[in-house]
Amino acid sequence: MPDKQYVIGLYKEEDNAVAAIKSLKGSPFDLFEVHSPVPAEKINAELKKSKSKVGYFTLCGGIIGFITGFLLAIFTATRWSLIVSGKPVVGFVPFFIVGFEFTILFGVLGNILGFLVMSRMPARLAGKPYDERCSGEYFGVVATCDYGREEKLSALFTKNGADDIKVEKNKN
Amino acid sequence: MDRRTFLKLAGIGSLSFAAGCSDPEKTIYSLVKAPDDMVTGQAKWYATTCRECPAGCGVLVKNREGRVIKIEGNPLHPINKGKVCIRGQAALQGVYNPGRLKSPILKTENGLQNISFSDAENLLSEKFSIAKISGSGRIKMMTEVVSRPLYQIFDHIMTTYGADAPTVFEPFAYESLKTANEMVFGIDGLFSYKMEQSDFLISFGADFLDTWLSPVEYTIKFKEMHGVRNGKKGRFVHISPSQTLTAANADTWIPCNIDDETIVALGLIREMIVWGKGETLDKSLLGNLQSIADPYTIQKVSEQTGISERLISGISESLVKSRHPLVLGSGNSFNGERSLETCIASNLLNLLLNPDLSQLDFNERYRVETAARRSEIYNFFNEVSEDKTNLLLLNNVNPVFTLPKQSGVQKALKNKSVFVVCFSNFMDETSAKADMVIPVAMPLESWDVYESTSKVITTLQPAMKPLYGDPQIGDLLIRSSFKDVTETEFYKTEVIRSLVKKGSISTELQWLNMVRNGGLYNVPENKASFSKKLSKKIFDVLLLDRKETTIPLSLAIMPSVRFFDGRGANRPWLSEIPDPLTKVVWQAPVLMHPETVKRNNLKHGDMTAIETDNGLVEAIVYETAGIKENVLGISMRRDHTIDGQFIEDKEDSIFSLLSANIENLSGGPISHARVISIKKAKSSEPLAHTDGSRLQHDRKIAMAMPFSQYSNSQDHKKTHGGSGLSMHEFPLTLPIPEGYDAHRDIYPSHEHENYRWAMVVDLDRCVGCAACMGACYAENNIGIAGKRQIINGREMSWVRVERYLDPEDNKKVIFLPMMCQHCDAAPCESVCPVYAPHHSKEGLNNQIYNRCIGTRFCSQNCPYKVRRFNWFGWKWPYPLNLQLNPDVTARSKGVMEKCSFCIQRIKEAHTTAKREKRKIKDGEVIPACAQTCPSDVFTFGNLMDPESRVSKLVSDKRAYQVMGYLNTKPAVIYLKKILNEI
Amino acid sequence: MAELTAAQIDNTVLDTLAAPSKTYWGIVGLLGVGVMIGLMCWGYQIVVGIGVGGQNNPVAWGTYLINFVFWVGIAHSGTLISAILYLFRAGWRNPIARAAETMTVFAVCTAGLFPLIHVGRVWVVYYMLPYPNQRTLWPNFQSPLVFDVVAISTYLTVSAMFWYTGMLPDLAIIRDRATGNRKKIFSILCLGWSGRLEQWRHYTRIYLFFAALATPLVISVHSVVSWDFALGVIPGWHSTVFAPYFVAGAIHSGLAMVVTLMIPLRKLFKYEKIITMGVLENVAKTIVFTGLIVGYAYGVEYFLAWYSGNSVEQESFMWRAVGEYKIEFWIMVICNSIVPLLFFIKKIRTSIPWLLIICIMVNIGMWYERFVIIAGSVAHDFIPHAWGYYAPTLTEFGIMLGAFCLFFFLFILFVKHMPSISMTEMKEHLHAGGNDAG
Repeated sequence: MPDKQYVIGLYKEEDNAVAAIKSLKGSPFDLFEVHSPVPAEKINAELKKSKSKVGYFTLCGGIIGFITGFLLAIFTATRWSLIVSGKPVVGFVPFFIVGFEFTILFGVLGNILGFLVMSRMPARLAGKPYDERCSGEYFGVVATCDYGREEKLSALFTKNGADDIKVEKNKN
Repeated sequence: MDRRTFLKLAGIGSLSFAAGCSDPEKTIYSLVKAPDDMVTGQAKWYATTCRECPAGCGVLVKNREGRVIKIEGNPLHPINKGKVCIRGQAALQGVYNPGRLKSPILKTENGLQNISFSDAENLLSEKFSIAKISGSGRIKMMTEVVSRPLYQIFDHIMTTYGADAPTVFEPFAYESLKTANEMVFGIDGLFSYKMEQSDFLISFGADFLDTWLSPVEYTIKFKEMHGVRNGKKGRFVHISPSQTLTAANADTWIPCNIDDETIVALGLIREMIVWGKGETLDKSLLGNLQSIADPYTIQKVSEQTGISERLISGISESLVKSRHPLVLGSGNSFNGERSLETCIASNLLNLLLNPDLSQLDFNERYRVETAARRSEIYNFFNEVSEDKTNLLLLNNVNPVFTLPKQSGVQKALKNKSVFVVCFSNFMDETSAKADMVIPVAMPLESWDVYESTSKVITTLQPAMKPLYGDPQIGDLLIRSSFKDVTETEFYKTEVIRSLVKKGSISTELQWLNMVRNGGLYNVPENKASFSKKLSKKIFDVLLLDRKETTIPLSLAIMPSVRFFDGRGANRPWLSEIPDPLTKVVWQAPVLMHPETVKRNNLKHGDMTAIETDNGLVEAIVYETAGIKENVLGISMRRDHTIDGQFIEDKEDSIFSLLSANIENLSGGPISHARVISIKKAKSSEPLAHTDGSRLQHDRKIAMAMPFSQYSNSQDHKKTHGGSGLSMHEFPLTLPIPEGYDAHRDIYPSHEHENYRWAMVVDLDRCVGCAACMGACYAENNIGIAGKRQIINGREMSWVRVERYLDPEDNKKVIFLPMMCQHCDAAPCESVCPVYAPHHSKEGLNNQIYNRCIGTRFCSQNCPYKVRRFNWFGWKWPYPLNLQLNPDVTARSKGVMEKCSFCIQRIKEAHTTAKREKRKIKDGEVIPACAQTCPSDVFTFGNLMDPESRVSKLVSDKRAYQVMGYLNTKPAVIYLKKILNEI
Repeated sequence: MAELTAAQIDNTVLDTLAAPSKTYWGIVGLLGVGVMIGLMCWGYQIVVGIGVGGQNNPVAWGTYLINFVFWVGIAHSGTLISAILYLFRAGWRNPIARAAETMTVFAVCTAGLFPLIHVGRVWVVYYMLPYPNQRTLWPNFQSPLVFDVVAISTYLTVSAMFWYTGMLPDLAIIRDRATGNRKKIFSILCLGWSGRLEQWRHYTRIYLFFAALATPLVISVHSVVSWDFALGVIPGWHSTVFAPYFVAGAIHSGLAMVVTLMIPLRKLFKYEKIITMGVLENVAKTIVFTGLIVGYAYGVEYFLAWYSGNSVEQESFMWRAVGEYKIEFWIMVICNSIVPLLFFIKKIRTSIPWLLIICIMVNIGMWYERFVIIAGSVAHDFIPHAWGYYAPTLTEFGIMLGAFCLFFFLFILFVKHMPSISMTEMKEHLHAGGNDAG
């Protein structure tokens, strides 16, 4: 869509942003993205977003971690089979601790990996429609319109109580 | 003879000089012409004689690649039967002492100057010539106790120059004992006692486990009489002012004031006569004795000495009941005005109790009896001071140190007209004052023979080439002054010739055999005749009423098992290994009774200044019940730096506190002095001791049981704990599968491969002498931490002898050798993150030094606290490093170490066994501690072999494990001490 | 209390990032010198040997491990505040969470140095790591010290990631307000955070998982540290109460350290409106709670010693109270479990000077608690003949000084150059309807 234009409507109140998104649905404009300084529960609800699936990464990490930790301990202990303190070479109680710590470690690594993969980070911001105030206190609703229809879209945002509107000039 | 001994003896066949020992080369060259008998990596053993004290024990010296590295007892030698004391172990540090002189030293106007051996020899010849020209009697010589041939050479030289015979000086010359022997038995000498045959022993201060006559010999004999034998056990009562090591081993130690021993002895004489002993004696003699002893009733003795009547009558009752009682006279510690009387009374007691005197071996006489009386020594120096003498020769004696200031020795040495030559390897108090010091080869580097007793001629052969090429004193004197008199050039030839002359040997083969065996042990007895005709003088002496002035506080200068008369102080091991009783290292504290401490407003650990009539000394207060209230005791000490260097600025020796008074009748010294003042000193220094608490806080560490219980109870289980699992009752859990019990152990037992090494430690045999520690230091390259680091708590010993006092009676002592217990369930092992300590297939708790990263967790978790950490890289200043055992790693800083059960010896036995396609035999592996222990405390062996000695010993009803309630299953099994009090 | 707005929050926090004064750099420099002193002492110890410290037989563990446990303990409350209180939805955590997490990360770093300083041969310390090697030897996974390695490194990784993840939106705020190089740096640091709906959707989820995983971790880590002792056989160590006792103690000391750090921070950075008295009061209340647990644990130890009937244990605990280390013991008891009870009084827990004094006392008390346990227990264990005492040396004090300086050095560098309060979480809270941060 080389001719698309981005318009960002900035809202202080989340409710207004939700209203804007609602009205976008019935309009010829497409909602492109929403930027927010805090998690926007109401917008999520409006867009009927399901819960993030990132937890599967965490779960996999944890399971892999537990197996890794436990097997690592068993593997290393059986390399030389040295008896210490009269205990069995493969001791399940102490090795459980290793397994546990590895569960947490790999779980967290999976968690991070899941986040980075699913939210496509790290990313470059340059060239994307973004308003710096969105990290402050504004909800930024980004919508696209055909070239030349920015005014209409802006009017829609204003109607829904936008505090400010920013038109991103398409560099193409 | 066991296998190990056989191997050793087979190795000592060679008679060639041991290979040379020189600085380690930076570049390795192959030996183009290696010595005939040298095989790299294989030890050579040389049989020779220990000359650290006049006892003359036979030793085997281990030589590796030209260096002597370890001393062990010669099992063939009848005196020490394969055992060596701590001082004998430390003889190596004499050879390798950093303070050892490398060349002769001449005092010139420009100070001390090193000269070559040939220059020294020429100068000595010159001095001899001058003395000869000046007329007769211009030379005087004083020597330590030396062999008969060497003494003969000295004597010949002196005769040649028209001088008096050389004077033999030993600080411990047993004057009162010799005089008493002469008076009672007509023998002016020192004979041996068949202590092993006695069943009741009384000693009036004879410290036969410390320094008296022949300590190793008597330790062995004592344990033979005092150990359990055919269900019986001898008893031992010691009466003396201070608790020496010997006293600590008595069943009953009775403290008494200095010279009060006489009163007790006379009281016992009276009792014996009352009980009807001595009926076989001459009637008039008995009558005389009776009249002398009559006033000493039990009540009077008790009144005068403060010893309870019950105790005295108990002793006399035991004396009467016992079949072979033996009484020993006074020793070296408290030579007082009445030592002679004590010795006479002891001899008389023996006569009363054993009219046939079967336990006194008049035919076996100690070489130390040749030592001159103290009175003669004082005369000697007074004569030197008179103008006649030109040349004074001192052979390895240190009179400036060992004699009081008034003795005239200082004056004699200061005399400008006398040229003083010291044959000494060290700068000491005497050699520092000499005009010329000539270091001579040390006994381990020399040829000689020595008559330890009249029944033994033991040989000395060089176990290595003299470290700095020192000549032997015999050779030196022959060359420099004796050339005209004899055609012999070498002292060794002279030795052989004297043996031939004496009829001891007649062929070269006999000589070779003699050297090979370490001596001649069947010297024909020349029956000594003794008359039972008692000299009248006895009664005069006993009637002398000379002690009525009681000294309120006297200071006694006491010998010690470590330093002897102080001569051992420059051997770092001896300073580093704690005193058996005080557990103090590197310092000589003053022993003080708690009452005395309180009375003088002092505290344990205070530095105090003690002034006697003759001098002042500063020493740290050591509060102990092991000394009588009005006696202070301080050991014969010398101050040395850690590397054995002599500290010159210490002007006054400890002996300068004493007067030069002598006891007139025996000519013996008085070894205590009246204390004028005692007060807190300005300086202070913490006490360097290695013990924490003196009590064991009821933790089942060093355990004991009464003899009655031991001999009566037939039930094994009952005595060592039984089936309980509490702190107070716990079973013996051997570190083998049988020791495991599903009710008590979470984990199943683990198997061992063929061997499960274990050690049995018999507390009833341990006398606490610390010989084991000395052997361990030598064998295992243990670092010397030094005084400061031990104050910081960093001693390195792998085996320590723990000393615990009875909480009820602080005079009762129990010793417990503690080393790594090689537990089957060792708490140290599982906590190490890198497997540095782990269990070997043979049950050893191995410590892998190069694996260790130094977390010290193992040491923290060891309930026995036997692990030692290398806080620093310990130094072995040259040439001490030459002593290191090449079979054992010298540990670097930052790693943990501990007792390995001498794994290098186990490995050696494995190699031999494998070569011979058999298993290791019982007794083939002997750790260093077990090897040297004079009282055979340690037994080492395989617990998986039901026939091994350890397997048999663990079924003894005394067997237990230290803190067995921890269920660590230690492989060191202790046997309880047996108490057998009066 | 005046109502905060999102802009006010941003401005207050961003104001702290203004160019630092000379005094600031002076303090940084001074702390740097302290770090150098510590490093020099360590270097000296490596060259000469561990013996330059005061450890000996039997007390082979000294201030190095005391400080290790101390700093690991400090590290605990950061995660407690950010994870456990997050799960409990305790809103008052938000203003102090960031600083507490920062404290955690730097305290773990500091703590992690001490095992290295402690070991005899630091140059072969990698023997503890499990990696295929020429020696074909592996670490012993039965050793509590290897548990430590695993647990502490996991803890460091997790808490650092948690901390950094939590910072992403804040870094974006700074990026958006900054210019020039700073903008470039923060653009990279915030990984391109733009507050997109998708980012938030995953972010809130992983934050929850982070908290859920960090909570058992934080409990396990100090339990593992306590097992260094509890798995030993030494009286005074060998006790099942150790794990909860150490966790409570860790949180106790950590909370006290948080207050100790927050009070000056609050003053210097003018955070009075954000870190309100209510926040501090809540921390103080928690300190009372942890103090009671710690005091209870002390009591349990004595009860167990008495109830066990084991005379070694009994003697050892009796000695603790009246023996050579009695002063240390009573400092520990008074500072840790008696003094914090003063927080029951509202006047005291709402007074800044009192808060500061009591929290510093708790910190001191907790240091001595580790001293009593680590040095005291082995000084007086099974074999009376081997008893001996320990006192730290100058070298040890030098290293200790270095460690404290290192912690504060890192901490003040952070608070001046990074957002020391989570602006996002504050706003989130505001957004969710909380009218003040407390």
